Amino acid sequence: MAPLTQYLLLLGMGITTAGLVWMLYLIKQSLGQTLDEPGKDIPAESGNLAPKPAWLRYHVHYYGYALLFLAFDMEMAYMYPWAVVYREVGILALLDMGVFLMILFLGLIYTWTQLGLKRQ
Amino acid sequence: MTPFLNGFIITLLFLSGVYAAAVMERWSVTGHVNWGGPVRSFLLLFAREEIKTRKHDKVFFETAPILFIGVILLTISILPFAPGSVIIDLGTGALFINAALVYVMVALLMMGWAINGVYAMIGGWRAIAQLIAYSMPVVMVLTATVMRAESMFLTDIVESQKGLWNILYQPVGFILFYISALAIAFLPPFDLPTAGGELAGGVWADLTGARKLLFRLGRLTLVFTVSAAVVVLYLGGWMGPWLPDFVWTFLKTLLVAASFFAVGRFMPRIRHDHLLEYNWKYGVPLALYNIFQVGVVLLL
Repeated sequence: MAPLTQYLLLLGMGITTAGLVWMLYLIKQSLGQTLDEPGKDIPAESGNLAPKPAWLRYHVHYYGYALLFLAFDMEMAYMYPWAVVYREVGILALLDMGVFLMILFLGLIYTWTQLGLKRQ
Repeated sequence: MTPFLNGFIITLLFLSGVYAAAVMERWSVTGHVNWGGPVRSFLLLFAREEIKTRKHDKVFFETAPILFIGVILLTISILPFAPGSVIIDLGTGALFINAALVYVMVALLMMGWAINGVYAMIGGWRAIAQLIAYSMPVVMVLTATVMRAESMFLTDIVESQKGLWNILYQPVGFILFYISALAIAFLPPFDLPTAGGELAGGVWADLTGARKLLFRLGRLTLVFTVSAAVVVLYLGGWMGPWLPDFVWTFLKTLLVAASFFAVGRFMPRIRHDHLLEYNWKYGVPLALYNIFQVGVVLLL
């Protein structure tokens, strides 16, 4: 199968799924309307009446991990093509990527020593 | 057997597999095997009225379930059940698994945001924490399987396991991928976005009707998908004696899914800061070690 056909198939599957879901929404809508009763549309909060919106500033206490994640994720983009030709290139590939990974790993160790790997 | 009949049988097997996953999910919560239970839940959710929370985000509220179930169906469509029976044999298969399943967590964050409730929002932020925790080990162990196969085609990865399955060739990678698969499918030890006891259902707490139905269905398909991914990457895919090849894939996938639910039944939920900590302190170094080990063994 040609690569273009494959991606067209993927696109088609996505559109089909969206269409099916839309049909389900329509069927549900035709089955009956929601009764308008007081207090029904308040989000669950263990009995509190949730006076304010939940879209507040939230302390994302894993931001240190998020930064590390960015660095490692960039590195992974290089890993995939490297992995495909690894056996062909041989020991040189191991050394090349070994040095690169070692530098990144030292970064991880450094973050660890700076107490970055715990809840902030 | 004609390709059409083959595809028909595989679709039937896939649907029955998802149904079996639904039965097992029920068992993992209640401890009872109830074969009619999923049908009942389906009818219940189908007939239930649609309640939308006030001041919800309209766009995300409608699109998050579509994104959730959509990416899962895209992922299952690239996994090979048998040599000739793969819907789309992508040249970037191994990468695509990871890239598509990331959107599971994105959909959860979108839903948590859309509801505009406190519990759902915390569930959404936790989903991102979970993604940051498991994502690195997953891509690294995937790379190690690609290294052995010298190709990112999933069919090639299965072929490369002829003789010795990856579970024995790279056991560290298998253990990491197995645990991460649990986290991808947010099954019980890692069900942080939808934590039953503490967040009252989290992201799912305020959903009823069609959207809840889509999320439940999507999660069951997701469990089946990640089980199939474990089988394709580590358990030799369709390889096995006597039976036809796609039956082997199906049986192994069901077995892996059953083990997922069994693990979830007997494990306490892990805290999300602990999850981040363990994954980055032990998971990432172990994954790097796995790459190194596979690299050295390949060159010997």
